Amino acid sequence: MQDQLLSHGVRVLKGFGLNYEFLLAASERVAFLHGLVVTIELSLATMFCSLLIGAALAAMLVSPQRWLSWSARAFVELTRNTPTLVQLYCAFLVFNMLLTQVLQNAGGNPLTPFFWVVSVISLHKGAFHAESLRAGLQAIPAVTLEAAASLGFTRTKQLWLVQFPLALRFALPSLINNLVDLVKMTTIASAIAVGDITYESIMIWTQRDNVLELMLLLLLFFGALTYLVNLGGRWLERRLRMPGYGQ
Amino acid sequence: MDMRQCRQHLSHMDMVFYSFPASWRLFTVDPSALKQSLFIEENMNAIESVAPSSLKSNNKFLLACAAAAMLFSNGAHADATWDKIKQRHKIVVGVLLPGGPFGSLDPATQKPNGWNVELAEDIARQLGVALELVQVQPSNRVQLLQQGKADILIAGMEWTPERNEILSFAPTPFYRVGGIAIVPQSSSIKHWEDLRGKEVCLSQGSNYAKPLTTEYGASVKGFKSSAESLLALRGNNCVAAVHDAILLNPLVNGNPEWQGYRTISPELIPGNSVVWARKGEQDTVAAIDKIVQGWHKSGWLIATEKKLNISPASPALVELHDKFKKS
Repeated sequence: MQDQLLSHGVRVLKGFGLNYEFLLAASERVAFLHGLVVTIELSLATMFCSLLIGAALAAMLVSPQRWLSWSARAFVELTRNTPTLVQLYCAFLVFNMLLTQVLQNAGGNPLTPFFWVVSVISLHKGAFHAESLRAGLQAIPAVTLEAAASLGFTRTKQLWLVQFPLALRFALPSLINNLVDLVKMTTIASAIAVGDITYESIMIWTQRDNVLELMLLLLLFFGALTYLVNLGGRWLERRLRMPGYGQ
Repeated sequence: MDMRQCRQHLSHMDMVFYSFPASWRLFTVDPSALKQSLFIEENMNAIESVAPSSLKSNNKFLLACAAAAMLFSNGAHADATWDKIKQRHKIVVGVLLPGGPFGSLDPATQKPNGWNVELAEDIARQLGVALELVQVQPSNRVQLLQQGKADILIAGMEWTPERNEILSFAPTPFYRVGGIAIVPQSSSIKHWEDLRGKEVCLSQGSNYAKPLTTEYGASVKGFKSSAESLLALRGNNCVAAVHDAILLNPLVNGNPEWQGYRTISPELIPGNSVVWARKGEQDTVAAIDKIVQGWHKSGWLIATEKKLNISPASPALVELHDKFKKS
């Protein structure tokens, strides 16, 4: 029944000059659907890790300890100012290879391409998150912090209980912006053969030359995915809104 | 027809276009190229002259779109490529530079050289036109050809029934090549059958993906080009890398970096490398085919192979030389 519906749909689209025949070949259909799942996994994993890294870096950036703030600054500048694809190639093709050679006698290299994509994108986007959060942290009036100090908050407690909750509200639109970009950035995984949706599409269209058809599916898919991120962001903004603070 | 409106619509296309991930743009048509194209203006005048006046005033956008569509269909000319070559006194050849004697960049001059380039140069010389080389990748060569960024392809592309559906070609092959695997010396893999269930690196767009998965049950990982695939093999991300024999043989034969590696034969799906052109460009492929036959007849290809130190020498070239010598 489902098969019939699918083949009927493909026939109808063929009438419009769109060749979606790959959906009828079980192996390619499975690969494509698996690609969808991998992209969603990649997006969720990188969102989570990049936000953690971003928060840690932001805390370091505003730290009064010189060595902490300087090393965080150096890291942000380095990752932010070099292309992600170059970082990925460098990590996966160079660093990973060296690691493999070192670990040759210790049971081999356990790190997968998926791991490398998640870590490179997370570190890259973490630097952007850190700058967004820094804007929020530094927007907090000094008197608020003085008030917190007078109530007996230590420096660490001020940071986690006063500064971060407020900074998050200031930085939210900018963070969501970063996250939308992050979802799109997961497409670079295809460069090192992680089976995300872009990779599976490339593998299909290099055999069938149906670039336009797959590109349409990719656009719809990424459009929907980034729209969801956007919706989530708006919901959070409403949810975290404080009466009397900003709009 | 008001060109301003057309440009406005195109600039909206621009906005949509640039909101996609940058890496995708490589695979699509760049709207800025579309805008610059004189084709649109020409074709729109043509459409305008036949369209009823009510349509002209109401549906300017539709007309613009129809003009853009004509740009891609090329239906009006018998052989637009041949006309273009003659008109510009120039042929644009898409060449693959996989590294090694078949095509690479000279490290000193940054100029492309090797087998593919020699062939392209001789075609331009025999046609009496200037040559422009465009470097292509296996993953984008068909798109570059179809979009008119290249007139013909000399890119190690073997004849396949799928390519035959969408492109035209000069029927006489200029080489015969199949895939071989490269594995570390210590590897337990001795035959193609040993690859079952193992991960194999290749380049995106390689036509060895199909036989490897369907016949030998390997799981393939496609990288942007052979360079990344080979690096991934060195990083132990796959047990073997499968590429054209003409790329891998020189590595294990002469490159000190690849001394710890060996190859696996016999060649996988040996196929005829031919020169490709856009679908239906009969004049172009006829002219190219005559040149290729001439190469075989004179033995120029065998001499070029020798000149470039390509080893082992291809038996197919000798065979074709014998065949065309008589005719």
